[in-house]
Formats: sequence, structure tokens, C-alpha cells
Amino acid sequence: MKLQLFKSDMNSNGYTLQKMAIRLGAFAAFLGIMVFFAVTARGFTTSYNILNIIEQSTILGFLAFGITVVFIGTGTDVQKGGIDLSIAANAGLCAAVYAVLLERGYGDSLAIPAAIATGLCVGFLNGFAVVTLRIMPLLSTLAVMNIAAGLELAVTQNTVIGAASPLLDTLAFGKFLGISALAWCLIIGAALMVAIVHYSPVGLRLYSVGGNVEAAKSVGIYAGRYVYGSYLFSGFAAGAASILIVARLSASTPGTGLLLLPVLAAALLGAVFSRRFVPTIGGTLLAVLFIGALSNGFQLLGISSYWVSGVQGALILVVVAVTSFAKKS
Amino acid sequence: MTVNNKTLTPKMSLESMSHKAVYVAFIGVFILFSMTAEGFLNFDNFSNLIANKVVLLAIVALGMTIVIAAGGIDLSVGVSIDLASMAFIMMIGAGHNGVFAVIVAILVAACVGLTNSLLINKLKIDPFLATLGVLFIGKSVQQLATSGGVPIYLTKSEFAAPFEAITRTSLFGIPTPFLVLVACVIAVYLALHRGKFGRYVSALGAQPGVAKYSGIRVPFQLTLVFVSCSVLCGISGVLLSSTVRSYVPLAGDAFLLDAIGATFIGTAISKERKPSVFGTILGVLFLAMLRNGLLLLGLNFFWQQVGIGLLVFIVLGLSFGLRKRAE
Amino acid sequence: MNSVAVEMRDVSKVFGPVKALNQASLTIEYGTIHGVVGQNGAGKSTIIKVLAGIYRHDEGSIFVEGKELKSITPKIIEKCGIHFIHQDRLLVSTATVAEAIFLRNEPTFGPFINHRKMNAQATELLQRYFDLELDPTTLITDLSTAQQKIVQITRSLSQNAKVLVLDEPTAALVTKEVESLFTVLRRLKEEGIAIVFISHYMSEIESICDTVTVLRNGENVGQVSPKEVGIEKIVTMMTNRDTSEMYPRRNVEVGAPVLEVDNLSLASHFDSVSFQVGAGEVVGLAGLLGSGDKEVLQSLFGLLPPDSGTVSIDGTSHKFRSPVNAVENGIAMIPEDRRAHGVAVNLSIAENITLASVDKISKRGFVNRQEEIESVDALIEELGVKTPSGDMLVRNLSGGNQQKVVVAKWLSCDSRVYLLDEPTVAVDVGSKIEIYGLINRLAAEGKGIVFVSSDFEELAEMCDRVLVIYKGEIIGEYEGSSINSEQLLAAASGKKITINRSAV
Repeated sequence: MKLQLFKSDMNSNGYTLQKMAIRLGAFAAFLGIMVFFAVTARGFTTSYNILNIIEQSTILGFLAFGITVVFIGTGTDVQKGGIDLSIAANAGLCAAVYAVLLERGYGDSLAIPAAIATGLCVGFLNGFAVVTLRIMPLLSTLAVMNIAAGLELAVTQNTVIGAASPLLDTLAFGKFLGISALAWCLIIGAALMVAIVHYSPVGLRLYSVGGNVEAAKSVGIYAGRYVYGSYLFSGFAAGAASILIVARLSASTPGTGLLLLPVLAAALLGAVFSRRFVPTIGGTLLAVLFIGALSNGFQLLGISSYWVSGVQGALILVVVAVTSFAKKS
Repeated sequence: MTVNNKTLTPKMSLESMSHKAVYVAFIGVFILFSMTAEGFLNFDNFSNLIANKVVLLAIVALGMTIVIAAGGIDLSVGVSIDLASMAFIMMIGAGHNGVFAVIVAILVAACVGLTNSLLINKLKIDPFLATLGVLFIGKSVQQLATSGGVPIYLTKSEFAAPFEAITRTSLFGIPTPFLVLVACVIAVYLALHRGKFGRYVSALGAQPGVAKYSGIRVPFQLTLVFVSCSVLCGISGVLLSSTVRSYVPLAGDAFLLDAIGATFIGTAISKERKPSVFGTILGVLFLAMLRNGLLLLGLNFFWQQVGIGLLVFIVLGLSFGLRKRAE
Repeated sequence: MNSVAVEMRDVSKVFGPVKALNQASLTIEYGTIHGVVGQNGAGKSTIIKVLAGIYRHDEGSIFVEGKELKSITPKIIEKCGIHFIHQDRLLVSTATVAEAIFLRNEPTFGPFINHRKMNAQATELLQRYFDLELDPTTLITDLSTAQQKIVQITRSLSQNAKVLVLDEPTAALVTKEVESLFTVLRRLKEEGIAIVFISHYMSEIESICDTVTVLRNGENVGQVSPKEVGIEKIVTMMTNRDTSEMYPRRNVEVGAPVLEVDNLSLASHFDSVSFQVGAGEVVGLAGLLGSGDKEVLQSLFGLLPPDSGTVSIDGTSHKFRSPVNAVENGIAMIPEDRRAHGVAVNLSIAENITLASVDKISKRGFVNRQEEIESVDALIEELGVKTPSGDMLVRNLSGGNQQKVVVAKWLSCDSRVYLLDEPTVAVDVGSKIEIYGLINRLAAEGKGIVFVSSDFEELAEMCDRVLVIYKGEIIGEYEGSSINSEQLLAAASGKKITINRSAV
């Protein structure tokens, strides 16, 4: 005999439809805005501009991947789950360390490991606070954000520190198959992230830790290690992004911390593009490009950049309200 | 009357140790600075410290205390401060009456709290993200209103009267801003520790489900919580702009971490690790003293920021870590 | 192949002064379904946790396939092929069926998950064991509760489980799903798997179990076959006491109606529910899970505003849109989830007690502490809450005493009608008796009481009247001393509880 076990009530079907509608709506909004810019903003669709958007998105993308991993491993319920508010400030600190070391004449072989190690240290501090001390992540990472921002200022004395190295030249000006080095970084980085997060056992287990800690523990997964790992990764992502930041600006400049908002917006927005309404690498990538295109389009249309922060803030509110509405069962 | 003493004693001692630790740290740091930092132990230094650093932060921290006691958080305190300050300066600049300007400024701040509570109650966004969104929208609003963040200075003597009425007056030798702080402390103390409101707030903070199942108007109480926080921030904003006779866009952001830090340092003095008015004031004094001491020791602003960040981190670690142990 | 899979011999476990297990034994054979029954606190969950390696037993020995296990950890037990299906559905709701089945045992291709193989294996397992065609990429959140249970079982089977321990597997299942689950269990039994089945529902025990181990106060009082001895005998073995000891008698004259419910309806939950509760009367609502009994209670408290119908208290009719109205008009709720909705454990006893009645002890918004202390102390005294003072945190009280605090909260605001939602869930027998005493006290004070419980014996013993609710409708009413739990259960399951044994 066949077992009849499917949810048969109308509610669940309506509910699934609703989810689908929200997801399709997100894609439609994305496409709609792209088409709008393509039609109204002169030069939006030129290959130069599109590459420019992708290049701009690389740094944002690396940071957003970091925070996406934290969201995956700890759940997107910010108050109960996890978040890494320190990631942008951390990237600023790493960039400062990197630029200062280059300026003092140390080569990339020392400066790059130092920058990455700085990022990992900050990541470790976050993991220690959240997992070992069990401080609310949004409070502990807020405190760490201030420490990192303060250290950045202390290292740079709040000045622009110019930096140059062969690697930076390659990153800034190199091209391969007509695509710039920074764009390649985003492509390769995203591909690696997809492989790890969506195609490896580690990724699946990370999702299970973030989705239901008790369930993960009950099958013998050491949940704490995964959460630690996600904060460490977030620190690593900050370190990697810092090199790209220095490459793009040929310097370390104050104000990297301001990237926090678009990064958060991208990571939260990304969930709307996924079937399960969870953060995914693909969703985050799409969201990063969306946010990049948005500020680019604004620029081309001559809309004041003062709107950008407000639009991003509003975007976060809309996305969170919509996803919480979609998740409600 | 059986209480299991065996299991309670070690917990009690750990807890009592941890909440005495804050006093010990406070006195320790005080003595340290008195000995090492030249000019620290000095009446002018203290009165200057209180007038310039303590009053403004303490009023904001009181607001944050209410929100955190209710189990929420308000990242948009800076917006409330700035918008109140902006409204106040613009009103004065336009030649309006000082009292009217103060009222408008505080109403503007209250609107920020109202927005927060609408997002939380109606759209079910959690306080952290709701106030984060408002924080960034507030930034845009200020940039748009000031063409990208150009400060408004009202240093001309024709505008001086209302500012002097706020900052230069005193009662029985006590300057008005300090009196405002005292009034705020008393008001928040009465509401939070002696009033019905405080009961609802602590129920919300301890277990919102229980509050709901006890017939408490949860959305209404949350609105009160967020609006009162914003109003306090608005008061602080008015005092700030009167002191500097100008409106500097985004100046309020600097208060956020200190207010959160002070509130959580304050929780460390209570056995149940609850936010309290007394604790918060102690936290504010601690932070101000630390910043002042570090400055007098010759540390620049950047290292002060690192120091404060580390201190808040350590206090949070103690507060959460020991609570975990006690449970 | 009735060989012994697991034998627990003379196992004892002590928690402080409490002997949770006292030389209890349990023998499970392959190819059988073995029930474990007992009242709350009889040691069911303790013996299972000992077997799972979560608790260490103090005395006794445990044999798996005849070999004694010296040290027991969850890992060793899993290696022995003993798997546990916990009561709470421990699944990641955003995972797919295949991911949930193979989490931590993913088939890989190099360093990557072989998704195709994983999905194929999941499909095959579901087909083979359950004849179930389920798309392995379906999300867990889109599955019914029964399907989620099946996914959990499949997960165990994929790891070659030979013994399956199911803890209250039918809680949260509707009758039809229970039948399907039983079909699955019988099929597994025929494959030679040993199944341990823990349940409160005696009718389920009777219909599915080959043997039953009965526990009482941490001791096992026998291993019997339910089909031979019958349910009544097992119940007697479980309680072994005069029900009058367990359930204190009360002698209350039922007065005028305090609560009148008229034609209350809420789409897809319940329909045209009408009943009255008199002063001093305890009215039970008996329904199986999903029958709508809880929803009626929630509607009366304003949590689930009804579509139509009226609720009258002392003759005045109301429409409750939220708990705020309900509380104002004298309705009290003793919720099932005490820690989430009943008491705030990190607040003091006094703060909890006066939470719903702060208005009464306040003037112009200020709380009168003196008045509060007096009224709280009086209530603590009256209800016998075991605490040195009202300033103690509720966290430090036992479950029964926490429940007293909830009752005290409502007494302090003079509620007229008490809605009890599983008030004795997860409390020990001693506290249960105290809670029954509280119910009698409330009745004696002339309160109207509506009592929802999945323990039908409790309903039968404590209530003046019991209304049976089935699929959202009241289908029967039992009164006075004629009520018995078997009758209620039969009625609550729509008189179709005899699950077709020849289904497979």
C-alpha cells in the first residue's frame, strides 16, 4: 500500500505559492531596476560600465561572503543568532597593516600574511566572545568593531597611506581575456565559495548548525567549532578584501568601516533569492551586484549620493520584513 | 522553607564576587589615574568632565537602559540626537522662540522612536535590524538636509540668548544641564524601579511570552520604551547643540557604543545582571573617567577608542561569562 | 529470530535524594515492538537516557547482543546500531529530505558531496522501507509531521540501525498519520528490527506493542503482553494506587454559570462550540492532538480570535481580540509551556505574581511595595509556595511551585475563569497531587475551570463534566462518576481507535 502522508491542507499550498511569489518578485524587482537603468541611465549598459560595476562589487563581495558564512553558521535571526559587525572595520585594519608594512619596505611575502593574520586574529576574537564567552554576537562584534577601527586609526594616524607592489599593480591594472584582475578575483572567489559552501560536506554541516543547533549536535556535529570557524572565515575574508581595497585605491584610506552597511544589506538581501530563504553564495553575489548597480545607476542618473545610505537602509527593512513574513508559518 | 543551600552557596559567592568586581575596578582605576595621570585629581578636571562628557552621555545611556531592560536595543540613538539637534539649530536659526524650538526638537526625536516601534510592532522586524535601518536612513536624511554633512554654526551673538539660557544658567550654583540630568535620572529611576512601567519593562526583558500571557499590552509598552529612549536622546541633542552652538551632522553616532557599554557595565553590579539606573550612571562615570585618564596620560583619541572598545569587551565578557557560569 | 538485542539488568540511577531508577530491567528482542509505559516520573525517560549514554547509571549492567557494555557513550551506542528518535523533531527545517537523511554521512565524490548519489540513495531508502515516493529534494519544512518522523527513521536505517527507540513518536500526529506510522513500524518489525515504543497513549500501546515493560517509581513492575492482559491491567500496574490517593476529592456545589460559550467557531480549527461552566465547576475538554481543544482554549483567552460566536462571563458577553481583553474580564490562563508563557524565571516571585495585577497595587503609576509584599506573602502562604521570601527568583523553584506562582498571579487579579492547558505536564507525581489540590481550591472558591489535558485519566478523575472534542466539534459529554478514561479516549478518537491490524 502507498502511504498518504503529504500535507494536504490548502494552507500549505498557498503558503508555498506565497514564498514563490516573493522570490519571483525579488528577481523581477532586480531585473526591473536593471532595465530601468539600462533605458534611462546613459552608458549603463556599456561593457566598460558593467565591468566597472563588477570591479566595484569585488570588495563588497568578499566582505559579503564573509558575513554570509557567519549568517549560514549561526542563523539569520540577528538577536538570537549571529552577526559580524566588525567585518568592515576589520578589513580597514588589515588594509592599514598591509599598506604600512609595504610602505616600510617589507615585501608582499610578509605584508600579505600579516594582513591575513590580522584578519584572522580579529575573527578569533569574535569567535572567542561569541562561542567561549557567549556574549550576544551583536554586542561583542560591535565592541570588536570599535577596537578594530581604533587600531586602524592608531596604525595610520588617520591618514592616507600609499602603497605599491608588483602584486598590487597586477591586481589594479592586470587583464586576462579582456577581463580585469579584480573581476577575476570575484569570479574565482565566488566559484571557490560555491564549491565549499554548497558542494562540500562542511558547507552542509555549517547550514545544519545555523538551521537547528540541536539537530546538528544530535548527529554528532561539534556546533561550537563551526561557529568559531565561521567567524574565523569572516576575519579571513576581511583580510583578503583588504588587499583588494589597497589594490583598488593604491592606498589604505580611512573610512573602510563605512562598507558595513552595504555588506550587511547584501548578505540579508541575498536570502530573498534562494529557494529556502537562507543565505547563499549565489544570492549574496546577486545582491552585491544589485547594490553595486544601484549606486552606479544613481551616479549615472545624477542622483545625489546622499540617498545611497537611506536607500540601502530602507532595502534592509523591506527585505527583512518580507522574509520574516515569508517564513512565518 | 527549604532552600537547597548546598547548591546555592557557590553560585552566590561567584555572583557576589563578580558584581563587586565592578566597584573594585572603578576604585582601582580611579586610584591608578590619581597617581599616574597628572591633573586627574583636580576639581576643575572633574567639573569639566561632568559638564562636557558625563551629562550628554548619561542622558542617552538612560534611554538605552530602558530599551535594553525591555530586551531590545536601539542603534538609532545617534539619529535621535542628531535630528533633535538639527531641528533645534534650524528653528533657532530661523528666529523662532527657544522654548518652541526645544519642544519641536524633542518631538522630532520622538518620531524616530515612533518609527522604530512601528517597524518592530507592525512589521515584526527585530529591534536590532529595525533600528539599524533607521540609523542609515537617518544618515541620508541628514546628508540631504545639509548638502552632504555641512555643519550649521550659530555663533553670531543674535542667536546667543537661547543657548545661554540653557548652558550658562544655574540654580543654587548648579548649572542647568546638570539639573536636567538629575531630573532625567529621577524620572527614569521612578519609572523603571518604582513604577508600573518598570514592571512591564522587566517582564518584556525577561520573557515577552509571559508578558503577553499576563494580559500586558506588549506593543503599546514597546512603543513607550522606544519613544522614551528617543526623547531622552532628543534632550541630549538639544544640550549638545546648545553647548557647541552648532549642529554637526552625524555627531550623535559617537554616543552609540558608549551608551551600550555603560548600560552593560551597569548590569554587572546587579546580581541578576539587569540594567539599572544606578548601574548605568556608574558605567557612564567609569567610561568618562577612563577616557579622561587615558587622555591625560597622553594617549591620543585613536588609542582611547581601542581602550574603550577593549574595556567594553571585557565587561561584556565578565557579565555574560559569569552569568553562564552561574546558570 | 527472537534473539535478545538489548538487555538492561538491575539498573539504578540516583539524582541527589531521588532514586530515579531502582533496579529496573528492560529486555528487548529483535523483531518485536516493545512498549515502555509509566507515569511521568516513573523513570521512562531516565532509563532511555541511560541506554542512550546521556546519563551514567550507578548500578547494574547493560548487554547488547549478549555482550556487556562497560562504558556507554552516545557514540558507542550508535555504533551498536541503537538509534533514538527524539520527541522533538530534530531536523533542520531548511534542509532537503536527502540532506537530512545523510547529514554527516554524505556520499562524496572527492571532496564534494555527490548530490545525485545522495538523492538516489534517499529515494531508494524511502522506497524500500516505506514504499514512499517522496522527492528527496523536498524541504523538511514542507513535510507533514509524520513525514518528518519518517525522515528521522530513515536516517537511522541508512546507518544500519538494528534497534530503534521512539520517544512519544505520535505526539503531534493526527490519527490518520498515526495509522501510517504504525504501518511503517510493523513493516520494520518484520525486517527484524527491534523497536522500543514509548507513549502515553494506552490505546496505541495496545494496538502496536508485542510486549510492554511497566515502570513505576523507578522500578519495573513487570513485563506483559498487552493483548493478553489488557490495558486496564497495565494501567493498574502503572498506578498501583487507589485513584483517590492521587486525585484528592472535592465537595463543591456547582453554582450559577460563570462562563458561557455560544457557537464559537474558527475556520479550520473548531466549529460551533458551545458549553457552560458553573461557579466551582471543573469542565474538561478531551481531544486528541489536532482536535481543536487547545485552540478553543486559546480563543477563549483571545490568542486566536474566533470568527464568530460569543463568550459570556457572569452573564456579560464579550469578544476577545487579545489576551488584554480576556484578562481584564476575568479570564486566567495556565499555559502549557510554563517557562515561555507562565512564569518569567529570571524575575522574582513577587514580580511574577503581581504582573497581571500591578494596577491594583499602584497609585498614579507607582507601585506600592508595602501593599505588594503583603498581598504576595499572603498568596505564598495560602498556596504553600516553598520559598523563604517573595524576592527569590522563580528560577530557584521546583516545577510544581512555579505552577503555584502562575495560579497566584491570577488569584491576585480575581480572575473568574481559569483555563488550564496541560497544567501537570513535566512535573513529578508529588507536584501533580499539589496541582490537583490547587484545582480543587479554585473550585471551592467558586471559580469556573476549563481543563485541557492529554492525560484522560486525569480528566476523568478531576472533572465534574468532560466534553469530548473531535475534529473541532463537541461530539459527546460525560458527567459525574460515570466518566472513565477508556471511554473518553474511544470517543475522542472518533470511536475508530481500533487501528486495522491487518493493514500490512
